[in-house]
Amino acid sequence: MMMQTEMNAYYPDYSTAPIQRQINPYADNGGSVVAIAGNDFVVVGADTRLSSGFSIYTRNQNKLFPMSDTTVLGCAGCWCDTLTLTRILKSRMQMYQQEHNKQMSTTACAQMLSTMLYYKRFFPYYISNILVGLDNEGKGCVYSYDPIGHCEKATYRAGGSAGALLQPLLDNQIGQKNLVKPSSEDLSQEKALAILKDVFIAAAERDIYTGDSVLINIITKDGTKVETFELRKD
Amino acid sequence: MFLTRSEYDRGVNTFSPEGRLFQVEYAIEAIKLGSTAIGICTSEGVVLAVEKRITSPLMEPTTIEKIVEVDKHIGCAVSGLMADSRTMIDRARIECQNHWFVYNENISIESCAQGVSNLAIQFGDSDDDGAAMSRPFGVAILFAGIDEKGPQLYHMDPSGTFVQFDAKAIGSGSEGAQQSLQEVYHRSMTLEEATTAALTILKQVMEEKLNSANVEVMTMTPKDFFHMFTKDQVEESLKGMEKIEPEHQRSSLESGYKKSPSIM
Amino acid sequence: MFNPLESAPPLWHNGPVPGAFYNFPGTQRIPAANPITHTQSPVTTSTSIIAITYDKGVLIAGDLVASYGSLARYRNCPRVIEVNPNIILGAGGDYADFQYVKSFIEQKIIDEDCLDDGLKMKPKSLYCWLTRIMYQRRSKLDPFWNNLVVGGLQDGVPFLGTIDKLGTAYTDKVICTGYGAHIALPILRDALDKKTNLNLNDAKALIKRCMEVLFYRDARSFPKYQLGIIDKDDGVKIEGPLTVEENWNIAYMT
Repeated sequence: MMMQTEMNAYYPDYSTAPIQRQINPYADNGGSVVAIAGNDFVVVGADTRLSSGFSIYTRNQNKLFPMSDTTVLGCAGCWCDTLTLTRILKSRMQMYQQEHNKQMSTTACAQMLSTMLYYKRFFPYYISNILVGLDNEGKGCVYSYDPIGHCEKATYRAGGSAGALLQPLLDNQIGQKNLVKPSSEDLSQEKALAILKDVFIAAAERDIYTGDSVLINIITKDGTKVETFELRKD
Repeated sequence: MFLTRSEYDRGVNTFSPEGRLFQVEYAIEAIKLGSTAIGICTSEGVVLAVEKRITSPLMEPTTIEKIVEVDKHIGCAVSGLMADSRTMIDRARIECQNHWFVYNENISIESCAQGVSNLAIQFGDSDDDGAAMSRPFGVAILFAGIDEKGPQLYHMDPSGTFVQFDAKAIGSGSEGAQQSLQEVYHRSMTLEEATTAALTILKQVMEEKLNSANVEVMTMTPKDFFHMFTKDQVEESLKGMEKIEPEHQRSSLESGYKKSPSIM
Repeated sequence: MFNPLESAPPLWHNGPVPGAFYNFPGTQRIPAANPITHTQSPVTTSTSIIAITYDKGVLIAGDLVASYGSLARYRNCPRVIEVNPNIILGAGGDYADFQYVKSFIEQKIIDEDCLDDGLKMKPKSLYCWLTRIMYQRRSKLDPFWNNLVVGGLQDGVPFLGTIDKLGTAYTDKVICTGYGAHIALPILRDALDKKTNLNLNDAKALIKRCMEVLFYRDARSFPKYQLGIIDKDDGVKIEGPLTVEENWNIAYMT
């Protein structure tokens, strides 16, 4: 006796097999995000280049999304997923505010993002997310994610197209790794900002998906300050 | 009370011409048949005390559970139809766990009550997933908890209405007990004073003689969160209560308080 | 077991195989593997759209040909349209998909007109709505194979945005899709670097130049094109068919 599915190979009209289409729903639109946290601040920067392959779509695309007064999300990767995810996040932040009569904390937002990403485990948002903010004690914190919701808390992180390039640089400059005389001083805001700008310059030299300019958010208890910084445009 | 009782008291979806939902009002009446539960909120924490009706000496008193843990930081005392209360407590627990799962933080007491309220008013709703609940829940709940605003006490009735209280009594002895609570409550009460007051008032409104077997006591404090009193701890509290008892009894009698009529 | 690459097994022992005497119309026997593979790709396609903002509005241009692969099949296919007095839209890619998208944009405009509240959709709203539609379809793995370019006036301020078949959306002062992204975009960006605030004539001259270069370099282009203009003062105008000034003299090497 012949198997039903084997017969269907000859009669495709009667097949109940899954239909397979051949389009790639994802695009790599590049972009890098770097975040550095200090004791009472956190800085996050993202380049403003939106690209696909060798084409630069636009040189002026903001990739930092304010979630609350003390929380900012930086996204790099598939831009259409980023647009969708950040819109859903924004509405979830508002719904939380209305349901619980308070603004969502950075830690709560971090956990929510993780669950939201994992709920799309089998059709993920192809985004490298870095969530930064001040925790309940006012201390800067950085959460980084993989596309399916794995979440890690850190004090500094590089993500996106130049993530792998910049992380070891940050390990050395911020984490004081592999130094003969590591500094034990607390990281100042000025130092963090200077390193952030330096690593973006380095990334723009080596990564074609990173460039044009950097948009920086500096979050302290007094609010969020926005700064821009020009990068090479080739 | 219900002079205008008519065919409007059948459906849960039908307002009477006076604008009342009789089934809901009857449900509120139903909890007045339930055992008395008292909650007092102090700056140190919240205390819940409930009576357990031991209707037969052959009954195993520990199987009557009227104070339950919903999450580490939220406990509930219930009065009314116990079976209904299980469903509502289930929902409360789900709300807590879901909030923790999604946001990695403790849900606020108000939001937990809101979640249970959403369940309580689902009577009359029917949709594709299922038929309507046939009636409102016959349960009143006291939510005692600690959140970022500190110790809190909420009360919810079968209509799903929930309100924050400093001190609240539900169940058969609630009218008298509420009166007494108003007299003894003050803002600077310690948790120990509140526990004693709750037991004293409970004793006044109970049919049976108060002992460690027919009462349940729980405290909710920022340090230990949900803590159910052991038999020994209850006995200790009862001893502490007897020391200052006569004075209290006098004051409540003077206020013209009468023992609530037994319905059950 | 049998070899799936051969025909179906005979209906009875030593008997005929299905289709041995007669092929029923509409049936085709694919000696393929089990899951049906079906590559979705555009059929009747149009090429680049180029668009630019100037001080008082937006220009969108696109030629009139719809090709079947390398065959210039249809030579009068307008793809720059007026959506409402606030918005113009240009589209590249599959022409059938564009006509379908166009039909429900038009339906939405009719629905809004029926409200009779005097309000007109603004370009940002259409842009966002189309982004959601394109993203929804890509999420079903059945995308509309188009690049859409939305131009308009958002409360008097020029707006220009684009959405691709995945729902990738962005706004900029100059936008080119398809081949134009490689050939016309550098010309436009260069012009904008040299003079940031263009007027209508500057912008028109630039578009004309770009359509010319594109016609020379893009094998799927056509010398007839439309130019959509939305201007703060003069409103919406779809000009055309305009003709690219061709000059092939250099080809004769005289």
